[in-house]
Amino acid sequence: MAPLLILGASAVLAAVFLPRDEVPAETVAARPAILDAFRWPMPAWMPPPPVPDDITVTPDLVDLGRHLFYDARLSVDGQTACASCHQQELAFSDGRPVGVGAHGTIGHRNSPSLTNVGYMPTLTWANPHFTTLEFQALVPMFGTEPVEMGLAGQEEALFARLAADPYYAEAFPAAFPERPAPDLYTITRALGAFQRTLISLNSPYDRATYYGEADAMSDAARRGQALFFDHRLECYHCHTGALFSDNLQTARTPFPENAFHNTGLYNIGGTGAYPAGGLGLYEFTGVASDMGRFRTPSLRNVAVTAPYMHDGSIATLEEVIRHYAAGGRTIPDGPHAGAGHENPYRDSLITGFEISDAEIADLTAFLESLTDQDFLTDPAFADPWPDGHPANANRVMPLN
Amino acid sequence: MKRFLLAATAALVAGPALADMTVEIPFTAEIAGAPFACTESYAGLGSAETEVQFLDFRLFVSSANLIAADGTRVPVALDQDGAWQIENIALLDFEDGTGSCANGTPQVNTTLRGTVPEGDYRGLEFEVGVPFDWNHGDPTTAPAPLNLTAMFWNWRGGYKFVKIEFSPTMPSGMSMAAEGHSEDATHGQGPRGWMLHLGSTQCAAPEATTPPSEACANPNRIAVALPDFMPGESTVVIDPAVVVAGADLTQNTPETSPGCMSFNNDPDCNTVLPRLGLAFNAFPAEEQMLVSMR
Repeated sequence: MAPLLILGASAVLAAVFLPRDEVPAETVAARPAILDAFRWPMPAWMPPPPVPDDITVTPDLVDLGRHLFYDARLSVDGQTACASCHQQELAFSDGRPVGVGAHGTIGHRNSPSLTNVGYMPTLTWANPHFTTLEFQALVPMFGTEPVEMGLAGQEEALFARLAADPYYAEAFPAAFPERPAPDLYTITRALGAFQRTLISLNSPYDRATYYGEADAMSDAARRGQALFFDHRLECYHCHTGALFSDNLQTARTPFPENAFHNTGLYNIGGTGAYPAGGLGLYEFTGVASDMGRFRTPSLRNVAVTAPYMHDGSIATLEEVIRHYAAGGRTIPDGPHAGAGHENPYRDSLITGFEISDAEIADLTAFLESLTDQDFLTDPAFADPWPDGHPANANRVMPLN
Repeated sequence: MKRFLLAATAALVAGPALADMTVEIPFTAEIAGAPFACTESYAGLGSAETEVQFLDFRLFVSSANLIAADGTRVPVALDQDGAWQIENIALLDFEDGTGSCANGTPQVNTTLRGTVPEGDYRGLEFEVGVPFDWNHGDPTTAPAPLNLTAMFWNWRGGYKFVKIEFSPTMPSGMSMAAEGHSEDATHGQGPRGWMLHLGSTQCAAPEATTPPSEACANPNRIAVALPDFMPGESTVVIDPAVVVAGADLTQNTPETSPGCMSFNNDPDCNTVLPRLGLAFNAFPAEEQMLVSMR
């Protein structure tokens, strides 16, 4: 049984939002049905993520989702699991400029961190139509442009593969008593449920901000924090709130907030164009001013999710800061040459600023203080399969 | 303690002698008298008579009182709707996420809804802004509408009381950047947007994430009095055109926030904050010109 599922008698009375440190440690051998209520792994100050109406999150559902997430049998080559582009130590990103799918297929986008992904009202870098994790999960599994897990046309074989596994033979009926077989519905619901538990709110910044542990942040990080929240740099205009993003939906917000920005990363030929295959929101709307607009990423755990931007084209946080200081990136030559600052669709809040090397170091230290080591090592989020199991024996991981 | 609670309960049950009546106070957004829409362009704004589109149009109002026949101020008890109104604070949201309001929300809110005791009222007073007691709480844990990131400002500095954002457009439809209208040598481009963000400034606190213990040096809440307001007949009008009439919306002082974001280092606010009824550095407050009625 996963640590997430450790539930004590007081949980029966105390609702599902107990802070982490108030969870009773004892386990309950014979679990009453009421204990199937799921307890979010999060502090009391944060509202839980919204959950689609047709889903009841239970420990069994989350556990099934975790097994699926790490199972390379969900791919055409038997080597590509969700985790193959979303590794826990990297806050569920992959350290590469863009993802790599089945048969070594090079992807189009930087694999985004899944930190707090359940609070994102839209998923992926720019697709406004992916509004649930369940719907989005279909793309890596069945998409062909690019192939990620390569299962297009393979679903019956996939369902049979999963049904033959002894764990799944029990886990699907436990999670879905009314619909006990692996199918598109059950697989995507379980994957979504697990991903909603990937909640990271215990960084040094959180300990200093929410728990009064001022020493949790270094002096450099605190100087960087002052810069981050100052109007000279304007970082907080888009990277705001609990997620450090202007995209947010919680169980207590009245409606989702979506925001996409062109940060002046490209301006090919002075036309405002971005490289083909990475046009941002424009790809979905065809509206000229949507060129290069991408969803604001959360900055939580950002120090472990390099390289940066939708195409992984900036290697380090220092370079990202210099990009914003310049108010856009100038590429002097080559097929992508252009002055990003002059991109006609650049967001009006990307204005540029002057910053010293020492201030860049401080700001970087602040961004590093958003790294939640507990999240990167929490066994509740780790590979549940034993080493050498068919689920992971052939699995390719970004860090090996 | 128990006795106190019982007494309090009895008082609540007894209730006021007069019944309450519902009130709905309508607001409308206009640009130099023309109805506001995210899909429209508006010519002649600011000292350079710039044509603009809008990126955003939202503001907080609070502490609304209707004025009774005997002159007493009667607080409007706002419906606690879990979305737009909390305590005596409401978010008015005129943008609908269409057109140039690209990062907005489809949801709009253009009225205050609540109750007052039965009676005859003439006159309305309220503040534009979030009261101090709510302004510097933790925005990440606040109830709606104080949990909408679009109105967050710099952590415990509080909220954007007013968020009205212009995007200058050239008559040709070309962007300002392409036309080269800029004196900003450092970055080579004029402003893409001219943002009016009103909020409290110079709020002394040890960190950005800790609240100030005393009132900010510049609270920047706008006091509005509309003595002729008639409930059921009048409409409150929010129109920023006169407020920014003295500002050149095609220019931004280098190394300052784009537009006027209330900060004391920003000369782009010199003509703007006074017309919101607020002193700004050496510039004295004038009558507020953002809010009127008809």
